[in-house]
Amino acid sequence: MTSAVPGTGAVRRGWWYVLPLAVFLVALFLVPLVRLLRLSFSPVGPYNAALPGWTLSQYARVFTEPYFYGSLLRTAGTALLVAVLCVLLAYPAAYALARRRAGVLRTLLFVIVISPLLTSVVVRTYGWVVLLSGTGVVNRALVATGLRDQPAQLLTSYPAVVIAVTHVLLPFAIIPLTTALGGLDRNLHRASQTLGAGPVRTFLRVTVPLSLPGVVTGALIVFALAMGIYITPLLVGGVTQPLTGIRVYDQVSTVFDYPVAAALSFALLALTVVSTALLAGVFRIWERRLHG
Amino acid sequence: MEPDLRLNEPDEPDERAAGHVEIEGLAAGYEGARVLDLDRLSIRKGEFLSILGPSGCGKTTLLNSIAGFVRPAAGRIVIDGEDVTGRPPYRRGLGMVFQNYALFPHMTVAANVAYGLRVRRLGKAEQAERVGEALRLVGLEGYAERRPKQLSGGQQQRVALARALAIRPAVLLLDEPLSNLDAKLRREMRVELRAIQRRVGTTMVFVTHDQEEALALSDRIAVLNGGRIEQLGTPDEVYRRPATRFVAQFIGAANVLEGTATGTGGLDLGGLVVNALPGLPEGERAVVAIRPERVRLTAPGTAAGPETGAGVAGTVGYRSFAGDAWHAEVRLADGRTLSVRIADTGAGASDPPGAGTPVVASWDPADVIVLERGGASRPATEAR
Repeated sequence: MTSAVPGTGAVRRGWWYVLPLAVFLVALFLVPLVRLLRLSFSPVGPYNAALPGWTLSQYARVFTEPYFYGSLLRTAGTALLVAVLCVLLAYPAAYALARRRAGVLRTLLFVIVISPLLTSVVVRTYGWVVLLSGTGVVNRALVATGLRDQPAQLLTSYPAVVIAVTHVLLPFAIIPLTTALGGLDRNLHRASQTLGAGPVRTFLRVTVPLSLPGVVTGALIVFALAMGIYITPLLVGGVTQPLTGIRVYDQVSTVFDYPVAAALSFALLALTVVSTALLAGVFRIWERRLHG
Repeated sequence: MEPDLRLNEPDEPDERAAGHVEIEGLAAGYEGARVLDLDRLSIRKGEFLSILGPSGCGKTTLLNSIAGFVRPAAGRIVIDGEDVTGRPPYRRGLGMVFQNYALFPHMTVAANVAYGLRVRRLGKAEQAERVGEALRLVGLEGYAERRPKQLSGGQQQRVALARALAIRPAVLLLDEPLSNLDAKLRREMRVELRAIQRRVGTTMVFVTHDQEEALALSDRIAVLNGGRIEQLGTPDEVYRRPATRFVAQFIGAANVLEGTATGTGGLDLGGLVVNALPGLPEGERAVVAIRPERVRLTAPGTAAGPETGAGVAGTVGYRSFAGDAWHAEVRLADGRTLSVRIADTGAGASDPPGAGTPVVASWDPADVIVLERGGASRPATEAR
């Protein structure tokens, strides 16, 4: 086929290059998602079997029963808390990484930082169990130092879930922050200093505002991942943790109510998409005001 | 035609014109790998001093030492009687302008200029007044609410200048501030920078690798090479009387000839004798330089004025037209070449002859710069 305008033919042909990926995504992501959406509108019969037909009753249950909507609120709150913790913990680490010159030491530091991503969830969780169980390192230290008379219930507690999820998701905050901080022009710091601003003021008035895109990116990624995370909280916190991911897992694996599990999944997905979009939108407006 | 900036009288010499910098025994880098090694450099109050040198000569290290970003290995830096060597950059009260402008992208032009004033906790009214004054100085009155991104490179550098001057520094350090601008804008900014310096009277230390820039702007030029000052002098001094071979070749172009004086006004380069040199005693070794624009080309055998016979014969190697002048290369009998620059007078009257034409290259003996002389006289055969 010849084309009148040079280049358009090639551009049109370029679409073929993404075909394998498109097939992959449609077959393995879009199709199951649509089927899941269909399932969330199905009525249930005896023994919670999905029946043909359409109903909104699953969504009604999700938004009226505290067991479900309470978990949604708790999950959003947890995700927000984890996002804030991750950014606060990631910032100094990213700052140290970004300021270090490229070399063996920086590579090593970077590997350590992203190590939670490189270890399997089982190994990582077993590590937490070793630390937090009744006879674990932390409890033995607490008892030995006399801070507590008897071991505390750490392993299946909500704080343990927050700590473990923060640990797992920390790299997702460190990576964008390191990029943002590493991209800052060193001369901006120097300019600030020659104008009389000391290190603290320079950090607050130059470094922090200019690294905000990295902060927001990191926080959004961590938030979205924390909304859907369930294996780590399940293994560290147990099946009774009031988080949506665990509730969905519970409905699927013990109650066998697939339609309500699907409805709860979509409610979680919608909440995630809407809240991240809102956060991103607010940041966009703010940034546009800032950069004109 | 660019005005001779040095002839401009200051509009109103400012009483705040402090800014005397004394640098003593300054060394930076490590033992055995010194980036900088200065015995002494005295920067006068209100002067425009250029630090000129090739990349890696230590000029940026020198500027960063004055600013406080580089901790010197030895030596002292004294500004207006106060030893600032151990002080951090934010307690030196100096202004600095960077090659890449380094404007705060998240602030308006006005906020950028006000930055140093806010740090100093000046009142709102005084801040506004000083910001207005600084922006007027650089001709950007209407741009206060713009963002740096909305400005051209030249405008951004003016904002950077205004920001640095707003704090009324005793000394303004400029790190190749014009290098990111295009050639035409660079020339305009040069004129303006010098005019601003005249108006505010601030001592300016200007780092550049551009000799033309340094010649056009400076009261004095410090030529740096290998971390040392090769020469410190006014632009005409360093151009007309370069102290070393490096200075002669770095500032402008130079034909450097090395040989033994014949005692009769010649220099034996080792077989080839070049005439027309100031009287050096016979047998003395000398290194001399002749600027390309001082060399004239005449046809062999023609009378060429009072210095007839002064010079050397050769053939034209190539010639090229550069607009305002011709560049030519004269190949001498022993294979070495002389570069020649002939100002174009229009209508082809001054055009050098074409390649291959035999010519005599001659010059006024007064134009010969003696760079080095003395030392053991060696036989001519060993001279090369």
